[in-house]
Order: sequence, then structure tokens, then C-alpha cells
Amino acid sequence: MSLADVQISHEPGALVARLTGEVDMSNAEELGATVIGATPNDAGGVVLDLTGVDYLDSAGIYVIHGMRASLQARGQALVLVIPPDSPVYDALRLSGAERPGEVVEELEAALAALEAKASEDA
Amino acid sequence: VGELRATQTDIPKLGSGQVALEPADLIVEAPDQVRASYRFSDPALSELPLDQLLDELLNRTQEALEVDTVAILLLDAEAQQLVARAAKGIEEEVERGVRVPLGRGFAGRIAAERIAIFIADVDHADIHNPILREKGIRSLLGVPLVVEGQLIGVMHIGSLKPRDFGPNDLAVLQLAAARAAPAIERATLAARLEHEHNVSITLQRSLLPKQLGDFVGVSLASRYLPAREEVGGDWYDVIELPRGRVGLVIGDVVGHGVPAASLMGRLRTALHSYAIEGYGPGRTLELVDRFVQSLNEPAMATAAYAVFDPFMSTVQYAAAGHLPPVVISSTGTRAIDVTPAPPLGAFPYGRCPEHEFSLESEDILFLYTDGLVERRGIPLSDGIDALADAVRGARSAEEACQAAVADLVPIEGLRDDVAIVALQNTPVPTELHLRLPAEPKTLAQVRRVLRRWLVERGGEEADVAEVTIAVSEACANAIEHAYSPGPASFELHAWGDDGDITVAVRDAGQWRAPRGQHRGRGLSIIAAAMDDVQVDRLATGTEVVMRRRLPRP
Repeated sequence: MSLADVQISHEPGALVARLTGEVDMSNAEELGATVIGATPNDAGGVVLDLTGVDYLDSAGIYVIHGMRASLQARGQALVLVIPPDSPVYDALRLSGAERPGEVVEELEAALAALEAKASEDA
Repeated sequence: VGELRATQTDIPKLGSGQVALEPADLIVEAPDQVRASYRFSDPALSELPLDQLLDELLNRTQEALEVDTVAILLLDAEAQQLVARAAKGIEEEVERGVRVPLGRGFAGRIAAERIAIFIADVDHADIHNPILREKGIRSLLGVPLVVEGQLIGVMHIGSLKPRDFGPNDLAVLQLAAARAAPAIERATLAARLEHEHNVSITLQRSLLPKQLGDFVGVSLASRYLPAREEVGGDWYDVIELPRGRVGLVIGDVVGHGVPAASLMGRLRTALHSYAIEGYGPGRTLELVDRFVQSLNEPAMATAAYAVFDPFMSTVQYAAAGHLPPVVISSTGTRAIDVTPAPPLGAFPYGRCPEHEFSLESEDILFLYTDGLVERRGIPLSDGIDALADAVRGARSAEEACQAAVADLVPIEGLRDDVAIVALQNTPVPTELHLRLPAEPKTLAQVRRVLRRWLVERGGEEADVAEVTIAVSEACANAIEHAYSPGPASFELHAWGDDGDITVAVRDAGQWRAPRGQHRGRGLSIIAAAMDDVQVDRLATGTEVVMRRRLPRP
């Protein structure tokens, strides 16, 4: 059994990566690399949907920061879907650190945020 | 007397130099042959295994008829060929694995036409097998081996000098053939069954889980017992699921032998695959049912799939045509009343309802196949009652398996194979003392133990999540410190009650200052999640001691 799973779908202008399961130092880097590797250059940005993540620790947060940095270098935005009171929300709260990207509560809002960003740029 | 009569019936398929013979009666005036007839009905022969029996029959035939060669070829029905199986004087036949197509040459025609054939002079006759000529055989006499109207082979004798085989020779050869044929049939059948039995047991064993794995709050035991004569398609499986849940599978493919064992392997794989995708028991069985429908072969099986959640102490359960599970508890042992869906493969697109029941601390969930409880002439419900009686009072999953096998498996062996898998909801000790390998994959295991331990200490969901992340971060630090050649480990101690718990994580490495944001964040999570954190840098390693009120004031 793998600890976590990532499902990737291509929406207009964005890549949506849905993460499920548990993310820790055993799999965080690999999951991050999977998402970055699947992101085409012409995608406006990446939506990382963490709704289905049961556990995320500092290793996961670190990797999300890294993802934001590599996407930024390609001119792509990262939007995180983190519902309030979810395990990921709590982990970010406990870490007290800066949020690694724009955070919304639902996938639709993430896609809308990316669309708005795209029209700003245009 | 002494002259062979050619058969009256016209046999156009004979080759040159071949003479078809009518079956000969034994000529009583020839005392040697009378003695020979006793030699083939010696009761001691029937005690011999096939190879020795054939050897003995060949020896006795050779002696009785004073011939130079004797050979037995058996029919390979699939290939439509005769295969040399035993020989005297022409051992090369067997060694070289001589094969003669049906209807060809000497033996091939005996088999195809089921007649005795005499060849006076091999040099001028139609012979398929070159060894006969190489060995210098001049004359041959052969008869078909027939059992209950079925041709199973050919037996022939040969002489290095030209010889006119007489009716007595034919009669004795027929006698030897009549003795050999049923014995060969019996022995090959037994050998084939034994081979198939061994193949399917090997297959079955290779398809069952090698070890049941370690799960938190769960102890497991299982059995697979092949039937006395034939294996079937029974199986069990244990599946590690996310969030510490454990999947338990039991199943029984209708049928026996290699086909059933092979189908079992496919069904087990299919069920396992759907289960790790996260489908619940009902949906998983519905999908396996579709898989069975898609095989386009007659296939039917019963199965049950249970998912145990050690944090909630609940079982989600669904069954397709399978017998009810038994729950062994200190307050009594009972079969859980669940309505199974039809068997897998019985009706396309059936619905498979899900049931939920609780499994209290130390209760045992016992899944089994019908071979354990089905006895001829006894109602099935009585068999299940007998099982409940047998496992009553078992204190562990292993004890339950032992008791069931001891009480219900008859001494003479099983008519049907049996699979059993049992799971006990085991309490986590009030104090944890764990020594763990310093590997990243250990973290998920630590979290599983800890969650269960915290729930049993009275932790609410939010407390459990916060303490878990803090301890997991401390363990991640210990694993990072332990990067050294060779296997390394770290220790986790957890104790406390009455809403006040302490967890200590100790490694044997040198404390390193937090490197970059990453480790610093880990420490800030620990500090935020726990009420009190101490990092002690000891000469032997580093210890992080964390305290926390449950629930937080």
C-alpha cells in the first residue's frame, strides 16, 4: 500500500493535482516531483487539492514551498485547496509559517483564482 | 495347433509384411504357457508401483516366451502418439522417448486398428521406429492394451532370429497385456491425480499471503488446509488499508484442482486491487463480480470482505454467497446475521449490501470457508454451531484457528479444502516502549500506533491529530540524525493517563542545529502542538520529551 496517491487532471489553463493519503518525509519529495513533472509549460498554474490528505507534516510543507518556487521560476502560479479544519489546515496552523501559496477552500475557487490571474497577466 | 490364423475381417490399413491376427485362446496342452498364465496373475504384482510392475511384467513375459525384446508403449491421447514407456532388450526405446504416430508403422497400426499384428521379417515390413531395425530384430508380435473399451497402449515382443510366433505366444502375450493394461491405467491415473494435487497445492500456497504483516491494534492468524484428494479454490487475504485499517478476505471458488486454484489466484488479485483503491466491502465485491462476469468462462465463487477500523473498533462487512462470520467474545460466541448477496458470477450486476458491526477490545472476527463446517448428512446450521462451540473461549486469533482445526477437521482428512483467517482487536498497552528502525517509512507505523494509543488514553480527534504530528516530527528528526552506515534505530516511549501524557523520542545520533526552514518548522510544530517540550542532548544521543494535556485546558 502506498501512503499517498496523486491524481492529475488537466483543466483549461491549469493542472489539477488531487493528493490523498498521508504525506511525510518518506514520500513528500516524490509527490512534489510527480506534480511538477506533469505540469506542462503552457499551463497557467497548478491547483494542488489537499482536501483528501489525512496527514501532512513539515516535510510536506517544505516540498510545497519548493513547488511554489519552481513554478514561480516558470511564471506559473500555485493555488492550494485546503478546507478549514482539515488535517492540512491544522498542520499549517501549527507550523505558524507563511502559507506556501494562495489558499482557497474549494477547487472551483482555485480554478477561478487562476483564471483571474491569467486575465490580469493578459 | 501352433499355426496362427489370419483374421477373416479385411483390414486394408495394414502395412507391407504385417499380418493381422485373431485373438488366440490359450492352448492348454502347452504346460509352459499354463505356468506363464499364473505368473501374470500373481497377486503380489498388484502391490507394486507402476514402474516396478511394468518391469516385472516385462521380465516375466520375456522369460515365459523366450523372446529377446519386450516393450510397452502408452497412448498420448492429446498428441495421438504412442510413447515408449517400458522396454526389455530395447531399452533405447524408452531412453530416446520414441514416439509413434497412431496408424503408422507396426505399433501405430496395432493401436489404430486395435488388433494383434505379426511381422515375420522386419526387413521387409512397414516399421516406423528405426530402433527395431537397429537392434537387429527380425520378427515381431504385438497386441493392443485396452481398458474398458479404451485403447491405452501397445505391448510387443520381438526376436533377433526369424521366428514364427504361434497361437500360444499370442495367448501368453494377450494374458500379459490383459494384466498390464488395468494396472497401468490405475497407476497413471493415481500418478496424474497426485501430480495435479501437488501442482495445485503449490499453486495455492504460492497464491496465499506469505506473512500476515504487522498491524497496530490487530493480531492475525490463518490456515489453509488442502482436501485429502484434491485442492480447491479457497483463499484468504489480509490487506493493509489507509489510516491503519485492515482488510480481511475469505473466498471459495466453486470447483477443484488446478483450474479452481488458478481462478482463485485471479479473484484474489482482483479483490485485493479494488480493496487498495479504497472501495468499501460492498462495492469491492460488486466490482469483483463484474470481473468474474467478464472472464467469459463458467466461474463462480463465494467471498466475504471485512474492513476493520482499529480506532473505531468497527467492522464493515459484505458477503457474496458466503457463510456468516463468527465473532468470538468474552460474553459469548455468535455467527453474525448478515444477508449475503448472491455468489460472485451468479447474477450479473447484483448489488452487494454492506453491514456494520462492532468488534470490542479482545473480540475475534473469524472468517472461514464451508469445508470447515460442511459434513455429509448434517445441516449446515449445525456445522456452524459446532464451529461456534469449538472456538468459544479462544483468547487469541491463533488459538481460535487451532481450536477450530482440532475440533472440526476429521482425522481421515477433509473432503473439501478449508481456509480460515481470524483477526483480534487487541488493546494497545498502556505504556508504549518501541524500538524502531530509523527509516522514513517507519513514521506511518509510529502514527498508527500512537493514534490508537491516544484514543485509548481518551484523546479527542483534534488532540490525537496534534500530538501525532508532533511525535512524528520528533521521530523524523531522530531518523535524520541516525543517518550513519549500517542499520540504525531510535526509541519511542509513551506513558501517562488521566489526561496527561508524555512521549519521549530518543536517538543515538548527535543533535544537529536545525538546517534551513525545513527542520526549524518541524520543531515549531512540536512546540505548538505540545504543552511542554524538552530537548536533552546526551552523550549517547538526543532525547526529545514532550508533554500534553488531553484534552487541552
